[in-house]
Parts: sequence; C-alpha cells; structure tokens
Amino acid sequence: MVAIRLLLVDDEERFLATTKILLERRGASTLTAISGPEALKILDDEDIDVVILDVKMPEMDGVEILRRMKKKYPSVEVILLTGHASVESAVEGLKLGAFDYVMKPCDIDDMWAKVKEAYANKGASAVKSRKPTGNIIDKRITQTEKR
Amino acid sequence: MEAEKFKHTRRMILSRVLLVPFIIVMLVCGTLVYYFAANLSEHVSRELANTADGHRRLIEQFLKERAFDLELIADSRKIGAINHNDLVVILEQLQKGSPAFFDLGIFDEQGNHVAYVGPYNLQGKNYARTEWFKNAQNNKIYISDVFLGYRNIPHFVIVMRKKEGEHNWFLRATIDTLYFYDLVGNIRLGKTGEAYLVNKIGVLQTQRHSGGKPLEADSDFNFYKSDESAIMSFKSGSNTGSQYLYATGRLHEPEWLLVVRQDRNDAYAPLAYAVLFAVALIVGGGAIVMTMGFWLASSLAHRLSMAEVEKRQMGTQLIMAGKLAEVGEMSAGVAHEINNPLQIMKSEYSMIKDLLEDFESGKHPPDSKTFQLIEDSIEQMGIQIDRCKKITQGLLKFARKSETAMRVVDLRPFIQEVVGMIEHRAQLENIRVSTSFDDNLPELKTDPTQLQQALINLLNNALDALKGKEHGEVKIKISHESGYIIISVADNGCGIAPENLGKIFLPFFTTKPVGKGTGLGLSTSYGIIEDLGGQITVNSKLNEGTVFTVRLPLADAAQRVAGG
Repeated sequence: MVAIRLLLVDDEERFLATTKILLERRGASTLTAISGPEALKILDDEDIDVVILDVKMPEMDGVEILRRMKKKYPSVEVILLTGHASVESAVEGLKLGAFDYVMKPCDIDDMWAKVKEAYANKGASAVKSRKPTGNIIDKRITQTEKR
Repeated sequence: MEAEKFKHTRRMILSRVLLVPFIIVMLVCGTLVYYFAANLSEHVSRELANTADGHRRLIEQFLKERAFDLELIADSRKIGAINHNDLVVILEQLQKGSPAFFDLGIFDEQGNHVAYVGPYNLQGKNYARTEWFKNAQNNKIYISDVFLGYRNIPHFVIVMRKKEGEHNWFLRATIDTLYFYDLVGNIRLGKTGEAYLVNKIGVLQTQRHSGGKPLEADSDFNFYKSDESAIMSFKSGSNTGSQYLYATGRLHEPEWLLVVRQDRNDAYAPLAYAVLFAVALIVGGGAIVMTMGFWLASSLAHRLSMAEVEKRQMGTQLIMAGKLAEVGEMSAGVAHEINNPLQIMKSEYSMIKDLLEDFESGKHPPDSKTFQLIEDSIEQMGIQIDRCKKITQGLLKFARKSETAMRVVDLRPFIQEVVGMIEHRAQLENIRVSTSFDDNLPELKTDPTQLQQALINLLNNALDALKGKEHGEVKIKISHESGYIIISVADNGCGIAPENLGKIFLPFFTTKPVGKGTGLGLSTSYGIIEDLGGQITVNSKLNEGTVFTVRLPLADAAQRVAGG
C-alpha cells in the first residue's frame, strides 16, 4: 500500500514531533506545520492526502484555515483536532467539509483509524466536489449538535 | 444594625409625614375647643345676667304695681274718712288684685295707727318713732326695708302719704313676706342658683337658699360688685369659700340690690362636660391617629427594610452569578489549557508504549537510540506535568484570598525600583522607558510587594506589545487627584482589538502563542488592584497603543476581602 501522506498542523512543537514519530511508525509519511500559514505553504509545495488540523490556534483560526484548504485543495481530507471548548468550531468545520474530528487528548490509534477512513473516502470520491456526503458525516453532525 | 436602620426609617416617616400634620390638627382642635369654651362661658354669664335682669324687672314691677294699687285707693277717697268696715272692703279689693297684700292700716300725722285690718293687734299703736314713719314723711310713696316692728316678724311695708286739707294721712300696706320671698327667691338656676335681696348696708331682705334669713347681715356682701343701673355680671367668692358666678342689679324704690348667683362649678358644669367630652374625643382620636400612624410608619419602614434586604440579596446573588459565570469561563479556559499538556503526555505515553511493544515483540530490540527516545518522552511528560501544575496554581492563586501587608510607600523610589526591574529588557529591545511624577505626591498606604507584581506585569505587557516595533516607548505617569493616586502605563505598541477589550482581565485569556503567555498576568493584576481598594482600566486602539490606568485610594482602603 502506498504510504498515506499526512500533514500535521498544531501549535505545540513537542506534540508535532512525537506524533510525527508515532504516525510514521504506523506507515504514514508525515510533514508538520506549526501554524496555518505554514500549513498552506506546505500544501502548495507538496502532495498531501490527509491533514490533521488543530482547530484552536493563535493568529489564525483553524476553521479559517480549513476554509482556505478546502477552497484551494478540495481533494485533501481534513481531520480536526479539538479540545472540548471548541466543539462548536468542529461542527462548523464538519459543515465546511472536514471529514471528521478527534477530541483532545486523543488516542493515537483512534487518530490513525480516522486517518485511514479519510484516505479511503478520498479514494472513493476522488473527483467529486467536497460537499459533505454520506450518512456518517450527517450522523456525526447531528450527534455533535445534540451535545 | 438592621434594627437601627429600621427604627431610623420609622422615626423619619413618623416625624416628617405624620407628626407635622398631626400637630397642626391638634392645634386647630385646641383652638376651636378654646374658643368654644370661651364662648360658652360667656354665654353662661350672659344667661345669668339676663335672668337677673328679668328678675329685677319682675320685682320692680311688682313693687310698682303694689304701690300704684295703694295710690289708687288713696287718691280715690278721703283717707281721713275711712272707717274700719271700709278698710276691710278696701283690703279685700286689694287682695283680689294681688294676694301679696297682707294687712292694711291708716295712720295720722302723729303716727297713730287709727285704723287696721289684719291678723295682728296693732290698732291704736303709735309709730312715730319708727324708721318707716320718719321716712314716709318725705315721700309720697315709701317702701321700707324689712323690719320686725310690733309684730316681731320680718316684714316690709308700702306707705302712701296723702295730704287732705291741712293734715297728712298715711295709708300703709304690709306685703306678705312669704309671698314676697317666693317671688324673689323662686328661680330655677341649675342646682345652686339663687336670688335674694340685700339692702345697701348688706342686710338680707329675703331668705337665701344657701343660708341666710332676712335681717341677717350678708356675710358675702363684700364680694359683690354692682352698677348704678346696669346688671353687673362677675365672678367672685363667698364667705364659705365657694366661687360664684354673680349677676347683680340695683333697685331704686327701695334701694335694694338683687343678687342672683350660681356656684361656679354648677354654672359651668355643662360647659365643663362639653369641653371634657371634646378633649376626650380629641385625645382619643389623637391616640388612635398616633397608633395608626405608628403602625403605618412601622409597616412602611418594615417594607423598606425588606426591600433593602431583598436588594442586597439580589446584589449578592448577582455577584455570585457573575462569579459563577467567571468560574464557568475560567473552567473552560482551564480545561482547554490543560488539554494541551495532556495531549502531549498522551502522545509521549503512546510513544513509550509503542517502543516497549517493539522490545517485547522483538521487532526492534532496545538500543541507545530507542532508550534516548524513551528518556526524552519521560522528560517531556515531566515538563508537561509542571505545566499543568503551573496552570492549577495560577487558578488557585486567582481563587485564593491573598493576605495583604499594608505599608506606607513613597511613590518616587518605589516606581523607580519597579522600572529598574524591566529596564534591562527594555534596553535590549530598544524600547524607551520614561517616568513622570506629579509634584507633591502624597505617600500611599498599600502592599508594595503585590503592587510591584501588578505593575511589573503591566510593564512586561507593554514591552511585549512593542515587540518588533520601531521607536517603541513606554510612558509611566504618576499623578494625584481627589483622594486617589493614578498610575498610568502607556505604550505605542500593537494595541488591543476592541472585541478583546472586555476579556483581557479574564484568567487564561491571552493572544500570545502557547508557552509564551499563561493568560494569567492581567487577571492577577486585576485581582491585586481590587484587593488594594483600587480600580484598573484600559484604553486602547489597534496599532496605535494602549494605556492601562491604575487608581488607588489614599484613604484607608478597608481591607476588602477579594471576592474570589
């Protein structure tokens, strides 16, 4: 299987470093970015399959970055990383086209499972526009909003 | 304290709202009662005077008529020629006119009782030396005072003198004493009212109900006043000590004084009752009004107290609600803050787990590199644990009421010391720091350690705001205004966005990247300044600069317990 190309975006240096190692051990090729602008730059330069994006970052709102990503690179899947306080942002993100979200602190295996799902989804509808489709997404949105 | 305030409010309502109108009403009532009483008492006096007037007229009329009766008889025949039988007839005639005629007699000018009709044996007696005979010489009609005479019974006479030819004849009639007493004394005037006659030397002429027989000296004579012709009304005393209301009137034929009097208490009894009743009503009514007033004032004051208590309770509740909201926000902040270290710790933990799995499965035996990784992870976990510790400590500090140690501080050296602490950093970052002091700054009583902490925080924030800016300047100004010391820290840095201005004092709020700011600096400073009895405010414009203004009271700021 071709290695999944990941981009990890978070404002915690150490988290990026450690998670990168953990993901690479599971077979992904991982790039990291410590800010939104940096992430967008990497997307310009590299081919990325899945982005793991922290929603609450200083300087640029995670949702804003997502919007731009989806606009410029509609084929890239995005998984949102969120602390409990930013659940609303996660829901907004899902509506804007994020594939799923993961609550912090997250389990690495949990994250990896979602990454694989996203990758699979990407393959299944490679050229279609990035409107949220599938029962899974709607179910997740309703679940989140209920909370 | 509550009870005091309640009493005070009640007293205020009573005195201002109720007492003044009440007093006015009482005054009005009092005045009315006074005038009523005065009027009534005058009325009583007048009534007595009127009675006396009428009575005097009655008596005068009676005497005049009797005298006239005699005159008629005398003028219509020759007195000298009247014999006994004629006299009987004449007396009968007279008595038909008035039963007051008791007996009748004729006297010659020597005073001999030449003819007599009546129950006594008086015919033939000589009266030349009697008082009445002497006086009768001078007047056509003469009415005598009461005297005993030959019959030895008090009586008085009316004498008619007629000149026939060369000689004087005298026709004399005695007035029935009992009849006369009854005429004079029979008036109804309360319980003690009486009327009687005295002559001009104070000898009673008629019987007096309260004690005194005719011909007795009137012991109260000295208490009388009288007028020539009018009825005189006055208050006076008596021998027995009783106070009387008098009305006197003089009679002229004869010179008697009619005295009508009534015991004062008796006279004024109805008035006294009326006034008493009125006063009782006023007092009773007044008491009721006062009671109602008191009750009303109490009730109002109570309501006000309740309202006050409620208001305070609501105030407290509001503060509580505010605090709960703050705590809620803070909890969210804390949760979020702690999430990051937890996140990192989780990944480190996963890392260590993965590596150990490799060791166990034999996929990757332990070597120095992997050991290093494990060591790194463990170290990182330690760092994150410390981070969590700092966060919870910061939270506790916010919640805890810190002890303040107040001291008198001379502001000039104090501020200069504080500035000295950040001077080095300012120099490094090419930021100019200037301080200006008002003249004659008073000393400030405060906690220098805490104030220092708060000010250093403000200064550091100012320096942070100027990062990367050219011609960065931090201006510190200390002034003094109406009981407050004002310290302002101004920078021309990046400013604060308007939407954030409301949040900057909230704990864990920061616009700095993670690890660079805890978000606790301003909230701690805020807490410190509040504790010191002051206020901290901010003014800012994006990309232009920010000013933080700290106001601290000079007067003893009561050590207010920080609300937590």
